[in-house]
Amino acid sequence: MAVYIQSAAQISIQSPLCDDWFTDPILREERYFRSEEPDFKQYVDPMSARRMGRLLKRALASAKKALEGETATLDAIVTGTGLGCIETTEKFLLAMLKEGEQALPPSHFMQSTHNTIGSLIAQHLKCHGYNNTYTHRGTSFDCALQDVLMQFDLGALSSALVCANDEMTELYFQLFDQIGYWKKEDVKSEMFHNASSEGSFAGEVSATFLLERDRTEKSLCRLDGQVLMYQPDELRVREAIDELLRKGGIGWSDVDGVVCGYNAARSNDEVYARLMEALFPDVTQIYYKHLFGESFSASAMGYYVAALCLKRGEVPSHLVFKKGRTTTPKHILVYNHFQNKDHSVALLSC
Amino acid sequence: MSELIENLKNEIIEALNLEGMSPADIDENAALFNGGDPSVAGLGLDSIDALELIVLMERNYGIKLKNASEGKEIFRSVATMAEYISKNRTK
Amino acid sequence: MGRIVVTGMGIVCSLGCGTDKVFSALQRGVPCVGTVRHLQTSHTELPVGEVSMSNEEMMSMLDLPSDSVVTRTPLLGMVAFKQAVGQAGLTDATRTVFVNGTTVGGMEKSEQYYLEFFEGKHTEYIGAHDCGAGTEQIGRLFGRLDAMLTISTACSSATNSIIVGANMIRSGRAKAAIVGGTESLSKFHLNGFNSLMILDGEPCKPFDQGRNGLNLGEGAAYLVIEEEESALERGAKPLCLLAGYANACDAFHQTATSPEGEGAYLAMTGALKQAGISPAAIDYINAHGTGTGNNDQCESVAIKRVFGDSVPDFSSTKAFTGHTTSAAGSVEAVISILSLLNNYIPANLNFTSPIEETGLTPVTQGKNVDLHHVMSNSFGFGGNDSSCIFSKIE
Repeated sequence: MAVYIQSAAQISIQSPLCDDWFTDPILREERYFRSEEPDFKQYVDPMSARRMGRLLKRALASAKKALEGETATLDAIVTGTGLGCIETTEKFLLAMLKEGEQALPPSHFMQSTHNTIGSLIAQHLKCHGYNNTYTHRGTSFDCALQDVLMQFDLGALSSALVCANDEMTELYFQLFDQIGYWKKEDVKSEMFHNASSEGSFAGEVSATFLLERDRTEKSLCRLDGQVLMYQPDELRVREAIDELLRKGGIGWSDVDGVVCGYNAARSNDEVYARLMEALFPDVTQIYYKHLFGESFSASAMGYYVAALCLKRGEVPSHLVFKKGRTTTPKHILVYNHFQNKDHSVALLSC
Repeated sequence: MSELIENLKNEIIEALNLEGMSPADIDENAALFNGGDPSVAGLGLDSIDALELIVLMERNYGIKLKNASEGKEIFRSVATMAEYISKNRTK
Repeated sequence: MGRIVVTGMGIVCSLGCGTDKVFSALQRGVPCVGTVRHLQTSHTELPVGEVSMSNEEMMSMLDLPSDSVVTRTPLLGMVAFKQAVGQAGLTDATRTVFVNGTTVGGMEKSEQYYLEFFEGKHTEYIGAHDCGAGTEQIGRLFGRLDAMLTISTACSSATNSIIVGANMIRSGRAKAAIVGGTESLSKFHLNGFNSLMILDGEPCKPFDQGRNGLNLGEGAAYLVIEEEESALERGAKPLCLLAGYANACDAFHQTATSPEGEGAYLAMTGALKQAGISPAAIDYINAHGTGTGNNDQCESVAIKRVFGDSVPDFSSTKAFTGHTTSAAGSVEAVISILSLLNNYIPANLNFTSPIEETGLTPVTQGKNVDLHHVMSNSFGFGGNDSSCIFSKIE
């Protein structure tokens, strides 16, 4: 069952709600940077936004942007978020720890449940369809995507929004810093090649994709399939890719590029390098976390990158991690892993 | 009383994140809640705002409500709220 | 595609550890909601359905080293997970997935150590905070699973895990799935629910006119579900069918349910449609029935919309266990299956008079009835509403 990515929208540390990053990327050196905020008033009226934390506003704005011009009814909204609205979660937690267990603000608690994001989007779009939320670390979005794809397979859906939403607060940045998630110094682009130290740099991502059964003029690309794996060995990865290529009706040599989640952390990057060397030694490798930073929602941008490369028929040089055969991209794999435990691989075709 | 009303308006704006509003924008006799009916003039607050107002009364005036439904009459308008607070405040 | 069968169940909640203990407690009709023992909170006035075992007791039961970095939510999960996998006799993890529902995750430790984290203390628990971390700890009890996924839709998390596992089987992505949820009490969500003023200071009274809120509980439960043919092939003994399920969204308010119970209505009718049975075929509904004014009223309205004048026997078992939030969907799925297999409807405790507007009376005394199809409802904040139907294999 073919599924098409009709549109995509993002709010991140690149220019918001546009694809400028594809042609004019902003390269950051800070190890922590918060998203560029759009003018939210266009997407949500201030009275109903008054209780929303930043992440909820971003989630709504990116969802509405992805739907722009679409009037079709939506069958499902599925969200991936590693931590949910941690800004409001922290507010409630700190109030409780510092002021005691009395007179605590309910709005902050209400926003602390991860599903507040997906259900708020449904509320604003008046969508009574399937609604689910995944919170599985660095593969939260990949899990959400799988849910939608399998329901397309089962014939249960003909349209769906798939969303990724994570924010990184100052406090949470410090916590993750304590356990080695981040580099200790400013980030230079050369760190992404032959990473010699652990740690990445932090970003924030809100991304929304509209998926539909039928190809239209505006379709960005086709999604042939996706496989989730836990601690796969090379054989399991080969099996998964075989299955995807079969679904796409192509062979190994037809793969024009592989999007990998290189993030400048040695043990993370080694996993991609080893797999690519074994499976696709001559194929162009594409990276994106140097533009969007690392977060539990970052992998969503890997799909965005692949979709836009397919739509525009090129891989801009700033996204090329390792140059392989020169071809106009027609088939791109998106590979993502979290701590070499949870893995996901998907095939996208033009 | 007018000082209490003025303070209360500021506290409501802060507690409910009524961004861009000033005390002058709030008519102390207008309805705070419209029960979902947009034709009723006023702020158009909802059930969560009511809970936030309960928190406001407890934190700022030491008044503790046991049940959210007790708020219904008290929160009719800023004026009714001020009247209740002036009679029952413990701080 | 063949039918989906349940081949194993595991449960731990305030009623006890294991299906036998839980079922006999339900039959005795004695609730296990009372004064908090393990959770460190000043709200000792609020009754809770706490699991009697301490973290240390669970760790020793599970043979975990005493210095393990593990929080209460995955510990409860491990206890239930082992029972489910054991009953199913599942030994080979090939093409088997684990779908876990939780919201609290590692919050139970984060709320104890949060301020100290910044001083560089207890930092090993920082990485144990997010929900996915606990899922992995539970899933690793069982060899090389093909995939692990974590779902968080508040109080319907575990039901949505059942639905996702079933869809993974139906779409050929897995041949077996361990599905359900786990949630420990935390000071964070106890205070959160308290700030929403929906906790009853007395034992909760689901579906009663005088209901005054819910009691929180904790627990974990998992089902092993499989494609029938492959289950029989490996010699498993199917317990019942997962006949139908549906997920819908009320799309009304972040914490309140729409007056017409639209999400609940869509979830129940969707599950019936998938099961291919008429409303009249349902013999018992294990209702969400939290005891809050809003939920019970709207669920009653939705039940009447689905079943008309012939509402089947129904009860909420939350007065027995407390509301186990993210685990509630699977805790009550296990209770529903135990009801089905034993032809016994557990009581809706603490009920005296029906809600005026809807007039529905639940089953107030446990009773033996021939059961063929039972429905289990789970509704979450934000209107994430799901229903499942379990049926006897006949």
